[in-house]
Amino acid sequence: MGTIDGLAQGFSIILTWQNLYFCLIGSLVGTLIGVLPGIGPLAALSLLLPITFQMPAVAGIAMLAAIFYGAMYGGSTTAVLINIPGEAASVVTSLDGYRMAQNGRAGAALGMAALGSFIAGTISLVALSFFSPLLTSVALRFGPAENFGIMMLGLVSTIFMVQGSTVKGVQMIALGLLVSCIGMDVVDGQERFTFGSVDLTNGFDLTAIVIGLFGVSEILLNMEQVATGERVKTSIRGLWPTVQDWRDSWLPILRGTGIGFVFGVLPGGGPVTASFVSYAAEKRIARQPERFGKGAIEGVAGPESANNAAVAGSMIPLLSLGLPSNAVTALLLGAFIIQGVQPGPMMMVQRPDLFWGVIASMYVGNVILLVLNLPLVGLWVQLLRVPYTILFPLVLLLSVVGAYSVNGNSFDIWVMIGFGVVGYILKKNDYELSPFVLAVVLGPLLEQSLRQSLIMSPDGAMIFARSPIAATALGVTAALVGMLLVKEHNSRRGETLT
Amino acid sequence: MKRHLLAACAALVWTGAALAQDGKAKLAALKPADFPTQPIELTVVYPAGGGMDYTGRLLAKFMEKHFDAKVIVNNRTGGAGMIGHNYLATQAKPDGYTLGVVANTLWADSLLRANGRWTYKDFEPIAFLNYDPLTWAVATDGPLKDKPLKQIVEDAKAKPGATRVAVLAGNTSEMLVENVELLTGAKFTKVPFQGGAPGITAALGGHVEIGVAFTTEYRGHIEAGKMKAIGVAGDKRLPILPDAPTFNEALGTKEILWQAWRYVSVPKGIPADRRKFLEAWINAALDDPELQEEFRKTGALVDRSLVGENKIMPEVDRLIGLEKAFYEKTGRLK
Repeated sequence: MGTIDGLAQGFSIILTWQNLYFCLIGSLVGTLIGVLPGIGPLAALSLLLPITFQMPAVAGIAMLAAIFYGAMYGGSTTAVLINIPGEAASVVTSLDGYRMAQNGRAGAALGMAALGSFIAGTISLVALSFFSPLLTSVALRFGPAENFGIMMLGLVSTIFMVQGSTVKGVQMIALGLLVSCIGMDVVDGQERFTFGSVDLTNGFDLTAIVIGLFGVSEILLNMEQVATGERVKTSIRGLWPTVQDWRDSWLPILRGTGIGFVFGVLPGGGPVTASFVSYAAEKRIARQPERFGKGAIEGVAGPESANNAAVAGSMIPLLSLGLPSNAVTALLLGAFIIQGVQPGPMMMVQRPDLFWGVIASMYVGNVILLVLNLPLVGLWVQLLRVPYTILFPLVLLLSVVGAYSVNGNSFDIWVMIGFGVVGYILKKNDYELSPFVLAVVLGPLLEQSLRQSLIMSPDGAMIFARSPIAATALGVTAALVGMLLVKEHNSRRGETLT
Repeated sequence: MKRHLLAACAALVWTGAALAQDGKAKLAALKPADFPTQPIELTVVYPAGGGMDYTGRLLAKFMEKHFDAKVIVNNRTGGAGMIGHNYLATQAKPDGYTLGVVANTLWADSLLRANGRWTYKDFEPIAFLNYDPLTWAVATDGPLKDKPLKQIVEDAKAKPGATRVAVLAGNTSEMLVENVELLTGAKFTKVPFQGGAPGITAALGGHVEIGVAFTTEYRGHIEAGKMKAIGVAGDKRLPILPDAPTFNEALGTKEILWQAWRYVSVPKGIPADRRKFLEAWINAALDDPELQEEFRKTGALVDRSLVGENKIMPEVDRLIGLEKAFYEKTGRLK
């Protein structure tokens, strides 16, 4: 069956009242949990999964998928408005989005985030529909060596997104990698740095870290400002971005789409890495990189497009190989299996209704989200009018619930609070937290792919040279490090001369 | 004619309902006066969405069908199952309200990771749910596509380390490979992956030669003709893989058994009447053909000959004995 026929069938399935209804519910829930700090798509999906047991397969999976990409839309809202990312993929959005809100351009930032998400989501869905079989064979070529190369590239390119001191950025990456070592080692199953604690066997929970670093520390910082009588004033002036905004953003949106899609397809990638890399890329390309971190709309448009494109991208290995590339798609895989369907190369043949139905539902869901989000932005902005004395305790409460809900383990709440204090101290000392988070995400994957490569290679590190993909990625990484060293060296010399 | 058919249908429906009623009545007779007065909690030690979670949720649904009481699933996750096992062994009250939906990973945790804080002897198994043996699979366009298991093992003996196997580190899949090595003298290169499915994908992409996984993890690839199973680490061949021999059959061994063996376990010391009632209740659910069909859909196998303490206990002891002997031989357990 061709793509067009398939899509036609998919739309005929999804455009029934019942399926549209579940798609709408998913989009709403997704937006909501995206907006709420702490409660990410993972927690929401695992809570709602049992409900889908009783539902028809298409409706159930369309709803769960809608929560996933709905969260990518919603996550930007709190990142822009109160500098607390709703979920990890919106961490970078807060860098410039929040500054835009402070400059009174919250509306444009939110509008651009929603429109960018829509454009990226739609383009990458078209790519998903047409290239799915083709991309599968590309994804299969990514073994451990190739993954290692790509992840090194991802990690090193984040150094370029750091504002201010490069040394501090490198320190944060190193610290993140160290933190990611805690827990059971991915290769031998040996425990590291757990001090005999059962709670630490899986390391610190990523959700707890993100909520603590960004949510709790932000509240601590804001409390200081409230106490000193300073209050951030934000008003909203028009949602529709200006002509200038469009001129600045259309290329970042397209680049973000490409980056997001590629990182979504790759194993170990996903929305979080994609948004970071997109930001780093935009800053690298920009004619005035110094605008970044001060409210550059490209810094919102790129990453927000990237995280949405990554969602569509990550559906490819899931649907065509039965291989989840991140925790959320792993849950979706569970949902398929519960429905008695095994995602894999045969799904398109055996259950075309489900395969194309889910893809069609994503087109529909993106439209629903755009229609929902633009008018709702006004509502979300009202959040800012809630007095801080009410808003902060509420956010803190939601953060605690979010950190707890992932594993049902109260230890995670302490992790969240601990990282909240750490985040506060680091922010006070002008350290940036986002490279840290990316390092925590990539650390275990990086270690695993490196050790896998070396174990399976008969001649040690030569395995990286033999793989064209790995060799290219590592070559570019080396070039980036070289550029960085030269830049640092020059600026040092500049300092001593003046 | 039509009327007769209707009458027959009605009679069938009625007998079915009557049978269900009968089952409920039998359970009601066993029900202790003061139990249950609150919801029963099934503790699952792995996250929502996985195989164990699904097993637990299905059991809860069918327990509710066979007796009018609330059964909830609680995922106590973390530490690769250790947090939940710890909870069940040391914190859960032996009052019959907390049941563990566990698997043989409990034994490995008890033997290797509990450090004397608790052992599997702190639990009493009350019902066997299902089992799912691990398998070895190769790509149908890979170098091992035409080789029988015996030959592959011979080759790995002649050229140690030349054959790469994707395993889940520290897990039963790694134990399976080591067990084969131990018994045959073969040597494989064990490449660690984060689960069976990523390992299968690596085998598809030619990054390793063999993947170790449960059949659910690559059923799609089998049906598409891209992967084929070459060995089953169970007592007998699998209905969906009639051509794949068991390891013991192919290699002439008898102790290669590595599977997910799922059962319901309770903390030791539950009042006898509650225990008896719970056992009858769970078995009523397990006898339901609908539940058995649901289990089968996930690739798990049902064996209803293992009912009652005097049947389950010896089997648990036998399997733990095999695992323990293996850990001692490989130096994991001293």
